[in-house]
Amino acid sequence: MVKKKQKQKIVLPPALPPEISEDEIEVSDEDLQFVNENRDYAGFVSRLDTDTITRHVSRVADLEGDDLEAAYEKRLGRKSQQKQEEEVRLQVDPVDALPVKTLDGKLYYRTLSNTSEKSENGRDADDEKGDSGADKGIVRLTKAERRAKLKKSKKEAKKQGKELGKTEEVQETPQAAVLAKVKEDLTAEEVFENKKLKLAELGIALLADPESNIKTLKEMLQFCKDDDHAIVKLALLSLLAVFKDIIPGYRIRLPTEKELEMKVSKDVKKLRYHESTLLSAYKVYLQKLMVLEKRSKYQHVAVRCICTLLEAAPHFNFCENLLGAVVENIGSSDDVIRKLCCATIKSLFTSEGKHGGQATVEAVRLIADHVKAHDCQLHPDSVEVLLSLSFDEDLGKAEEEDKENKFRNKKSKKRKNNEEPSQLQENDRKKSRKELLTKMREEVAADYKAAAFTTDVKEQKRMQSETLSAVFETYFRILKHTMLSTTDSPEANDNLVANATGAHPLLAPCLNGLGKFSHLIDLDYIGDLMNYLKKLAGGDTNSNSSSERSSKYLTVSERLQCCIVAFKVMKSNLDALNVDLQGFFVLLYNLILEYRPGRDQGEVLAEALKIMLCEDRQHDMQKAAAFVKRLATFSLCFGSAESMAALVTLKYLLQKNVKCRNLLENDAGGGSVSGFVAKYQPYASDPNLSGALASVLWELNLLCKHYHPAVSTMASSISSMSTSHNQVYLSSISPQQAFTDLSLERELLNPKYDIRKSNSKRKKGSSKMTGGFGSSLDTSSADEDELKKKLSDHFVLLRDFKENGRLRSELERTTLALQLYDEYKKQKKKNRKA
Amino acid sequence: MRPLDETETDAVFRKLHSFTGHNLKNIVENPSHEGPEPNPGRYCFRLHKNKVYYVSESLVKRATNISRKNLASLGTCIGKFTHGGSFHLTIQALNLLAANAKHKVWLKPTSEMSFLYGNHVLKGGLGRITDSISKNDGVVVFSMSDVPLGFGSAARSTQDCRKLDPNGIVVHHQADIGEYLRMEDEL
Repeated sequence: MVKKKQKQKIVLPPALPPEISEDEIEVSDEDLQFVNENRDYAGFVSRLDTDTITRHVSRVADLEGDDLEAAYEKRLGRKSQQKQEEEVRLQVDPVDALPVKTLDGKLYYRTLSNTSEKSENGRDADDEKGDSGADKGIVRLTKAERRAKLKKSKKEAKKQGKELGKTEEVQETPQAAVLAKVKEDLTAEEVFENKKLKLAELGIALLADPESNIKTLKEMLQFCKDDDHAIVKLALLSLLAVFKDIIPGYRIRLPTEKELEMKVSKDVKKLRYHESTLLSAYKVYLQKLMVLEKRSKYQHVAVRCICTLLEAAPHFNFCENLLGAVVENIGSSDDVIRKLCCATIKSLFTSEGKHGGQATVEAVRLIADHVKAHDCQLHPDSVEVLLSLSFDEDLGKAEEEDKENKFRNKKSKKRKNNEEPSQLQENDRKKSRKELLTKMREEVAADYKAAAFTTDVKEQKRMQSETLSAVFETYFRILKHTMLSTTDSPEANDNLVANATGAHPLLAPCLNGLGKFSHLIDLDYIGDLMNYLKKLAGGDTNSNSSSERSSKYLTVSERLQCCIVAFKVMKSNLDALNVDLQGFFVLLYNLILEYRPGRDQGEVLAEALKIMLCEDRQHDMQKAAAFVKRLATFSLCFGSAESMAALVTLKYLLQKNVKCRNLLENDAGGGSVSGFVAKYQPYASDPNLSGALASVLWELNLLCKHYHPAVSTMASSISSMSTSHNQVYLSSISPQQAFTDLSLERELLNPKYDIRKSNSKRKKGSSKMTGGFGSSLDTSSADEDELKKKLSDHFVLLRDFKENGRLRSELERTTLALQLYDEYKKQKKKNRKA
Repeated sequence: MRPLDETETDAVFRKLHSFTGHNLKNIVENPSHEGPEPNPGRYCFRLHKNKVYYVSESLVKRATNISRKNLASLGTCIGKFTHGGSFHLTIQALNLLAANAKHKVWLKPTSEMSFLYGNHVLKGGLGRITDSISKNDGVVVFSMSDVPLGFGSAARSTQDCRKLDPNGIVVHHQADIGEYLRMEDEL
């Protein structure tokens, strides 16, 4: 038991000798001599690890209370200082640079002092603070401050590590210059990887807890100023991702000076700080984006960032700048950029809930100004985005209601004024009460509006009407521009070709838009619009040669589209007035003649036929008959697709107008039904004066023998339409459908299909085709062999005939020659005898 | 019977022009297949007892054989000159005008009768109207089944008609086919 206790006894080091100042120590001469001779022996003293000894000696175990704490603090302070000192120097990889061994036997690795560089790159105040803190010796820090200092120092160390990586290291010896270059190449990739990792880290930290890590935004922004293109792009994109998620759902309003002076709670302070940092970082980011957008290397990335930001946060601050940039690019020649911008704006228009309509108005107004600035020479996409706008259906009616209300209010006010002088006093009291009540109600309503998120209906209507007016302004400007460019310079025939193709890129989307929004056009402008459209479609009756030339500047498709739009406008404004667009019918009548299949679009023609003829509710016999006759002529001239479209329309017209079926009778002159014009004028420009009721549809007979079975069946079915009874069966195909059906079929037409047809033709021996071929497209190969045999027989037969004929003629010739010779001989004999 | 002189021709053509526009040449150059000659002749205007007639040349030739007081009428009477010298178109010109009209108006079935009694055309009775009518143009009135009912002059342009209230006058009545019954003696 005693032994154990003895064992448990801690062996204490011997007590230190009493401290004597050095001056008092007298060194004897003998001692000096001994030391000088045997320097090596005394070398161990310098090699003593004094640190561990002192640590052991000044043990914590002896100390108590405050001394204990002080000891701990000292220790930690020394540790941190040492660490800093260590990290201050960059350790060169021992592989690259060889160490030096001193006489002491200690290995010195090459280190670089970077104190000079630190002072050069004193960007952040934090850095300098940190440096000064480290250099100033050990200061008594509280635990919290120490922790903060540690954090800062760690960050700085990392930063400095990066700084050193980024900045080119100036080596002190020429020997290591070459090494440095090698190191650069090797570590450039490492550096790149490091940067990427760092970016990712910062981003994740931000997304995880935006409130506290908001400062890291600034760090990420630093990456945008890098020299490496890839890093800059990565930084931009990662910042984009971060901002997309961080941006709040409200506009940040920076506190005014008054508010800053007020005392606020910690939470509010924190929120304000967060908001202000976010806003400033965002601003810097946007400025960077705008600058980079100009440079071609970063254009795609910058535009993509701008577009995504705009889509994600159209309500936030600076959205006007973003919008401006996007609209600028909406007409750019680069396909990718243009498509991005158009897609963004379309999404803006369709998702009105995010920004409450304000951005829509802005965007449309900017587009209008853009079109104006470029004088309507833009890519059609830029105006096509306007097609994705949507307006409330009752936009026009609401305005009328407001006017009515105003009218009523005026009337009621007048009445009130008349009634006032009669009952004064009672009214005063009642009035004051009423006024108070109304005031209260108004206040409550105002508060409610401010708090509620639902958009005010009136406000919305106002914004929509603004948008609409901007849209129509653009469209009318485009129309006017087209008009002016077609009527200018009628003598410049050289420009004809150039103008025809490129002069009006915006006309097609403009017409489409007008057709879509036709029901919202104000009644005042409809007349002007119709005039414009008529002029554009080239239908001025008093045209002299110059304007005739100019009307050719617009292609047939464009002119057809003008007619189509005019009809759409008319149809959507039927409640105002049912207008008969006679001029446009004349235009269509003439345009059908000008159509050329390769150059012009058949679909547009089919649509025009459908809208103007099939959906028309008029019963004008002359006009209908004129179109019937012209369509029949038209279907003879072109391929099966156009013919089919024309025939479908023709059938429809004949079914609707019973009197026109006289055209099917073989009775030229028409008789009493012909109306006022006795003879058919095929070249008349006005359908009403063509006298078509006096003509006969002989074209149908030719069409019955058309090579395409569908066309021939249609023609024969039309010819069998009789005038006696009304046929209830209406064709369900529209001319457009018929056109598309046949134009596709044209490509897919099988040669076997034809063989089948010709086979049955030969079997039946008649030239008329009956329907049903559409279903029987599958042919068997057995027919082919049979056909081959038959064809070969046929041709052999023909050849035999020819041969026979030839031989026979030869035979005749020779017999004739022989006969002549015989006669000649006889004659000779006679002559000799005589 | 005599052909029209300068002022008279001018007056007649001006009136006709307000209805037909440039289709006037169709009226003047209409080939006529009447008469025994193989080549079609032309139509011309003749004045007889203050009435203007639209006659084919072949008919005119034969009508010169009849004395002035015995000649009641020839061809189609299209109008007459008043004492003051102004020209008015009468209802008998309707066929000619309707064939070559530029400006047309179609009436709803409910308001046909009203027009045939001599009233003006109101907007509520308007079925359809040609585009590009301007004020004081000559307008031919049709029913919805394209039967010409009469003619008149436009009170306002098509554009103004869009915003008119239903009781506004669109076309001032000048002549209608009901006159054949109402004013049988005067024609």
